[in-house]
Amino acid sequence: MTLTPRMEHGLVLLLVLMVLIPCGLVIAIVSEVPFREIPSDPAERVVLPDGYTVTLVNSTTWSLPGALGGKTYVIMDRNGNRVIVATQAFASAEERDAVIRVYNANAIGRGRQAGGLIVHGQYIISVTPADPDIIQAHRAAVASALSEI
Amino acid sequence: MMSEAAAGDSAGGVSRKKVLGLFALAMINVAAVLSIRNFPSMAIYGWSCIGWYIIGTVLFLIPISLAGAELATGWPEGGGVYAWVKQAFGEKGGFIALFCEWSNNLVWFPTVLSFIASTLAFALTPDLAVNPWFMFSVMMIAFWGTTAIAYFGEEASTHFSNVGVILGSLIPAGLIIVLGVWWLGSGQGLVLPPFSPGAIVPAIDLSTLPFFATIVLLFAGMEMAGFHALETRDPQKDFPRAMALSAAIIVVCTVLATLAIAVVIPASQLNLASGVMQAIQYFFNAAGIAWLVGPMALLITLGGVVNLAAWLIGPAKGLGIVAEEGNMPPMFDRTNKYGAPVAVLVLQALIGSMISLLYVFLPSVNQAYWLLSAMTVELLCIVYILVFAAVIKLRYSQPDRPRPFTIPGGKAGVWAIAGLGLFGTVLAFVVGLMPPSFFAADGTLYVAAVLIGTFLLAVPPLVFLRCRKPSWKKAGASGGDES
Repeated sequence: MTLTPRMEHGLVLLLVLMVLIPCGLVIAIVSEVPFREIPSDPAERVVLPDGYTVTLVNSTTWSLPGALGGKTYVIMDRNGNRVIVATQAFASAEERDAVIRVYNANAIGRGRQAGGLIVHGQYIISVTPADPDIIQAHRAAVASALSEI
Repeated sequence: MMSEAAAGDSAGGVSRKKVLGLFALAMINVAAVLSIRNFPSMAIYGWSCIGWYIIGTVLFLIPISLAGAELATGWPEGGGVYAWVKQAFGEKGGFIALFCEWSNNLVWFPTVLSFIASTLAFALTPDLAVNPWFMFSVMMIAFWGTTAIAYFGEEASTHFSNVGVILGSLIPAGLIIVLGVWWLGSGQGLVLPPFSPGAIVPAIDLSTLPFFATIVLLFAGMEMAGFHALETRDPQKDFPRAMALSAAIIVVCTVLATLAIAVVIPASQLNLASGVMQAIQYFFNAAGIAWLVGPMALLITLGGVVNLAAWLIGPAKGLGIVAEEGNMPPMFDRTNKYGAPVAVLVLQALIGSMISLLYVFLPSVNQAYWLLSAMTVELLCIVYILVFAAVIKLRYSQPDRPRPFTIPGGKAGVWAIAGLGLFGTVLAFVVGLMPPSFFAADGTLYVAAVLIGTFLLAVPPLVFLRCRKPSWKKAGASGGDES
């Protein structure tokens, strides 16, 4: 009987660790994107592959603290599928990270978000809908273009 | 509605008042499932959101509602999914199902809490959303406040849920629908192309498959009323009707409110990174009632709290039952005079607070949170796969058990309905392992991380059962396999 409380505490500790270990796992896998100033809109550097056309470009400043402005691109493929890419620069890391929190909070039901979010320096790049062909098929090209900025 | 019945029930030596009727049960499900957060996100899909909703309804909402109604009326015992899955697959299966539902909540809490805090900040002054101390303080007040409501037992929780759902979910959804109808009636232009039957068909291909998992779990939470069986006055009669009522309210509000937003706001303005309130602001500005944005933000904040409460209380009650039956150490089965599982509630609040702390103050956790969310999708799929499998198995293992409600069509009917649910959730589990397009690293790493995380969050029941001692069982608790 004297061992029981120790065992109980051990099991509680184990339970807490089992829940916290996955948090450590994601920190190890997904590295934090450092905040740095980017001279131009990162999406401008991405060359569209054949079959995709930009049908609309708007300059927009999101009504959010620290938002400095960006652009919204509406891209169509040959089949008429539409992808919306919105970029926005932020004045500080805190303001950029606050937007990431909002994005995380906007999952549909208990699932994923309807779009994807790329963090690049001071920029947030929002892509909707989730996982469009243009990103799936040209992931390396997009990553390479962004890395050059 | 809600009134206190004279008779009580006793489980694990704790007297439980029968306070829940049809309306209260239905509102528990509505609180868990109906969320304003979903509307702008789904409105991006235009007319095809109807097709996506139909997929979610056919592959999940209808199956889980019917399966839940059959299981809750056949086995109206405490523990919800634990009691149901235990009947079919024993304590191990039941405990794993319940624990997956509980542990996925722990990871989900920070996201819903930050939704509550950022929406409240929008109502006060949006700059507050940038301040991590404001965010964390509001998150903790909401989290521990909801835990405190749960502490005062079923009656307090039910009052809060009933009022909160009406104010925080149904009124905002109704207002959005009314504004959409007004927009159409006033002859203002639609931002969507003209409707055609073909427009509602969603594009389903390899690139949209990961979204499939999200759609299947869009209506997750319909089983939440089952956790409150011990406090229900007439479960055999009220559960099926509550399932039907809540499903109808959820579908009508969700579809109509999403379409109302879709016809008014251009998709290019529905930017997920700027949040639900930005979309609501655009919508209300267009309707000329910008002054209502602040009050609407407060109502939606309340809706977020009610959504949190539904998920916070149900699985915790289930875990309390598991502990009473001797499957967890005695420290987990402590209940107060209101019948609330205080030990589980406090432990849950402590772990949730720790993860929230990391979420708000560590940018690396914040930026990587989508990966943790992917684990929660897998955990929920495990819960529902076990529930659908249980309703099928019990038709064979306990055919003579009185079931006031049964899925129509005999065994063929149960295979068809639960089979659809199984198909949807198994597919959702598989596509949930597909890395999102913005994940730059190796896809294998993503799959490994999600599977390892899911395993760690699902495996503690096996450890508890391995260490179980006869002395853990609370006097008066039922326990043991009944299959």
